[in-house]
Amino acid sequence: MKKIILSLAVVFVSLVSMAQKPEYMQAMGETLGGFSTCKNVEDFQALGNKFEMIANAEKGEWLPLYYHAQCYILMSFIEQGEAAKRDGYLDIAEKSITKLVEMVPGEAEVFVLQAFYLTGRLVVNPMERGQEYSGLIGQANGKAMAIDPTNPRAKMMKVQMDMGSAPYMGLDPKSFCPAAKELLASWDNFKPKSPIHPNWGKDQVEGIVKGCE
Amino acid sequence: MKHLIILWIFLLIAFSMFSQTVITGKVIQEKDEPLPGANIYLQGTYDGISSNPKGEFKFKTNKTGSFILLANFIGYEQFSQKVDLKGDTIRLNIQLKEKFNQLNAVTINVGTFEAGDKKQAVTISPLDMMTTAGANGDVYGALQSLPGTTINGESGRLFVKGGDSEESQTYIDGSLVSVPYNSTAPNLSARGRFNPFMFKGTLFSTGGYSAEYGQALSSVLLLNTNDMPEEDQLDFSIMSIGLDASGTKKWKTGAVTGTVTYNNLGPYMSIAKQNYNWEKAPESLSGEISFRQKTSKTGLLKFYSNLDNRNSKLSQYDLVFGGKPINYELINKNQYMNASWNDQLSEKWGMNAAASYTYNTDNVSYDLAKVKKHIEGAYLKNTASVQFTDKVMLKFGGEVISKSYTQQVQLTNESHENSFANHNFSGYTEAQIYASSKFVTRIGGRVEYSDYLNILNASPRLSAAYKINSKSQFSAAYGWFYQNPVDNYLLYTNQLKPERADHYTFSFQSFANSRTIRVELYYKDYKDLVKLNGTEFYLPSSYDNSGSGYAKGLDFFWRDKKTIKNGDYWISYSYLDTKRDYRNFPEEATPTFASKHNFSMVYKHWLGGIRSMVSVNFRYSSPRVYNDPNSTVFNGEKMMPYRSLDLSWSFLYRQNIILYGAVTNVAGFKNEYGRSYSITPDDSGYYQSAAIQPSSNRFFVLGCFITLTRKGNANQLDKIE
Repeated sequence: MKKIILSLAVVFVSLVSMAQKPEYMQAMGETLGGFSTCKNVEDFQALGNKFEMIANAEKGEWLPLYYHAQCYILMSFIEQGEAAKRDGYLDIAEKSITKLVEMVPGEAEVFVLQAFYLTGRLVVNPMERGQEYSGLIGQANGKAMAIDPTNPRAKMMKVQMDMGSAPYMGLDPKSFCPAAKELLASWDNFKPKSPIHPNWGKDQVEGIVKGCE
Repeated sequence: MKHLIILWIFLLIAFSMFSQTVITGKVIQEKDEPLPGANIYLQGTYDGISSNPKGEFKFKTNKTGSFILLANFIGYEQFSQKVDLKGDTIRLNIQLKEKFNQLNAVTINVGTFEAGDKKQAVTISPLDMMTTAGANGDVYGALQSLPGTTINGESGRLFVKGGDSEESQTYIDGSLVSVPYNSTAPNLSARGRFNPFMFKGTLFSTGGYSAEYGQALSSVLLLNTNDMPEEDQLDFSIMSIGLDASGTKKWKTGAVTGTVTYNNLGPYMSIAKQNYNWEKAPESLSGEISFRQKTSKTGLLKFYSNLDNRNSKLSQYDLVFGGKPINYELINKNQYMNASWNDQLSEKWGMNAAASYTYNTDNVSYDLAKVKKHIEGAYLKNTASVQFTDKVMLKFGGEVISKSYTQQVQLTNESHENSFANHNFSGYTEAQIYASSKFVTRIGGRVEYSDYLNILNASPRLSAAYKINSKSQFSAAYGWFYQNPVDNYLLYTNQLKPERADHYTFSFQSFANSRTIRVELYYKDYKDLVKLNGTEFYLPSSYDNSGSGYAKGLDFFWRDKKTIKNGDYWISYSYLDTKRDYRNFPEEATPTFASKHNFSMVYKHWLGGIRSMVSVNFRYSSPRVYNDPNSTVFNGEKMMPYRSLDLSWSFLYRQNIILYGAVTNVAGFKNEYGRSYSITPDDSGYYQSAAIQPSSNRFFVLGCFITLTRKGNANQLDKIE
């Protein structure tokens, strides 16, 4: 009961603060629109810069930091160059994620993002980091699932992990296709708390489902 | 009235137009090159932009008054400047300075092979130590595929850059390990006492190491145990040579792990042909407990204790009495305890405390003689580090090494007991100074006092590294290294000085695209080596510090993880030229443990289709020398070269079950480590001899590792030897 009141209070306060910050909502909305046009590292960096600027202006908000980290994680995936550069982008993302975990430790999205960030680390050097990081990714995503079992991004991360590790376990990655299809079908049941809350991932799941056929 | 309103509107528009400030300019780096992608904005506002590919930027703001303009970019220091927004155009040329970052800066890596660092270009990772064929799950075995080491099959211990095995020391979590190897019968290969799975990282320094480490003439091996485990876990392993069970219980701020291991080579030896006749195959039972507790957000206390009992009985032919078989029986009891605590007390201050205790007894029965050797060691160390600035770090600390050694010899009609106790008190300090991200120096010194020898020594240590570009660097190191004479001599005399080695090392390393190349040149000057003159080893007057020697050589290392898909290989080669006059040598000669050319090539391949990791290791050592007392030339005989082709295969059967198989010397190369001679000549004045062979030409092991967790997704992949 106490928790419910507390979370209601949090929602209320954030709604009020949003209502009071039309400028913030507008800036976030515009910047989020930038995701659809990003193609390369430079684009994501410019977008990350904008989120950094907003985060700097709105020290109490976690969403600008969230998207800032997301931009840098995506940069590490797009970057084709040397490992040090990719790790450099992830170092930046890591800083924002550390702040986020302190700021909103009860937010499932933050732990999904952390799992996503750790996936970035793993991909840089799967041979050496595979063992350790796959465990860490599972832990971070597990936290997200525990906080909000309905979060579709956490479910997506789980499907991706299961499919990725299937060959190592003597399983067929396609055995996870029904789960992916079910996730896609129910994707829109999840309603983000506001238009600027995380709402990405449907494309990826569509991609997975396509790969199943 | 109407006009007035129009005027008002006009004024308002004009005012709002007037108040729009344009900020424009260019962002450049130190060498005046444009910096694209930099973030330029007014602090606390939404007004800003990223610089374009030419480094230029331009944005408008409706804000007026005094604001702070920020500019930043990854890896550069943030630029900030106060600007007055008055509706005009502000032109700014911003120069960003590269941020000093120790992670990207040059590091002193001369002589060191580091593992466990996640981000840097590592030469050998902990996983490598486990999956390298030929290592057979032994930490020291794995290190013997690195340059600078010489394989001595009859010893199994570390011989580094022309140094004897006693010249290498092992540290666990900062504490010295007095008895790092298990006890074996003479001329049989020893293994490390510690399970490599315990360690998350290793640093193997083959020379020129920090002032923090003393009492080692040749090398130090620093092993760091795992931090907090991730979850509750049960591990079982069943191998052709023994069983092992381990359980971990974790709580919020700590964890405890208990392990029981039973090894018995009996069943294996009954089916695989042995070169020796074992009356009782080596058997051991050991128990381990380790404990972890977080003491603060950054502090961690670790405790580890190991109790180990092992015994074996070997039948050897006595060379004096025409090949009469005589039993050599060994019973070993060893206890080792280790505690460490480290914490980052503040941004500036770090503290590291370590303590260890060793209790080791070897009971040897050989024919009618009985020898009991007993070592008790205690170790205490505390190190503090101060980070004055990003670029200047100072480390200082103190250390006490206490050791007592007793040897009882029981012969048919006489008995002897000798013992000594020594305390070494040391203090050290070392500063690490970065002149830039390209150049770093480390200057330190160490003072040591031994109460048994009553001698005070000071040793300077100096090293530096220079980064030529983002991929390549040079390093150099110089230092004096002292070590007390070996225990067997200290039993009879304290009228000796510590032995000394001066190291000069120069190395080049380049890392790019998952390929590493490393070349190292070194020279070691040995001084004050202990000499045993004559055969009366029990007389203090037989010993003096008149010995000396040198070792020089070249080490080469190449590793490539890129060229072959799913494949990874490394090649190491060492050239060594060394001579010394020490112990009972009649003159300067090459010692038996040194071989001129050492070569090792390791190849590992991941076969995704069958979920297997296979590893091949080929090792070669050129012939070493040995002494034939029948010959007039000291150490004038040459042994056979050492060759071994090793294979290992790990198969991920289920996510939590791994099957493992390994063969050492699969090609069955004949290896011999010289000959051993009878102590006294026969009636015709001839010293009888027998070849020293490995306990078997080939060795194989099969195993199965099972991990049980609540989630069921952990496995022992990182545990495959």
